[in-house]
Amino acid sequence: MSRIDCDQALAHLQDYLKRELTEDLVVEVRDHLERCQHCFSSARFEESFFLMLETRARRETCPGELRARILAALRAEARGD
Amino acid sequence: MAEPTEAGRSFDDEALPHLDALYRVALRLTADPSQAEDLVQDTMLKAYRSWRQYRPGTNAKGWLLTILRNTFINDYRRRKHEPIAMDLEAVEPHALYRSMQESDPEGTFFSQIVDDKVLEAIDALPPDFREVLALSDIEGMTYSEIADTMKIPVGTVKSRLFRARRQLQAELYSHAVEMGYIQARESRT
Repeated sequence: MSRIDCDQALAHLQDYLKRELTEDLVVEVRDHLERCQHCFSSARFEESFFLMLETRARRETCPGELRARILAALRAEARGD
Repeated sequence: MAEPTEAGRSFDDEALPHLDALYRVALRLTADPSQAEDLVQDTMLKAYRSWRQYRPGTNAKGWLLTILRNTFINDYRRRKHEPIAMDLEAVEPHALYRSMQESDPEGTFFSQIVDDKVLEAIDALPPDFREVLALSDIEGMTYSEIADTMKIPVGTVKSRLFRARRQLQAELYSHAVEMGYIQARESRT
């Protein structure tokens, strides 16, 4: 099996971090990251980006008023209004 | 309330825990808080009415998001003009990516950007990009769940996500440079 180069590693990096690669490719990317400081750094960069999205963009919650309005609408629906 | 399923789970038990996620995705799809509220409410009522079609033990969040998405497409999308997808090739994402990395190899600038700016940058993405990004990177759905929800091939999910993320990174990078969080550096490659 031929080893992947930096361009290929970079193309798969996000999917690797999201655990969306096939087992073969996981091994290829992992091997590459162990050998390549530059791509290893790219992986840290992508991780910072994903962490930002998972935390900062998930803070909005359904407003209490909307929740109450939905519950009332569901109760009305259940009563057959 | 709707009768519990055979597994004994009621609509309330299955659907209500996902209200926050539905609301966030609705905000990203409509980019309008009052429309987002209406969309979530319509979604919940439709889901309630078709509760018998839900198979217990399957992915309730995916089921609800599919209803939300269909409702949005059928009843909401036509209401407002959407930004046109920008020509990504013109941005030279690869070169830009390299210069981002040289300025800040570990992407620490991402943590300096305020929440509102992050959301604003997401909402400025073309709709197709915004949607996959919200479902995957914000709500944590897998690529195959997204493919099912959006009725597109997994390969399309992947390529849209890749381009959406690069475009968002470029947007946030420009913002960070503007705000002086980092110094722009010319790419040597």
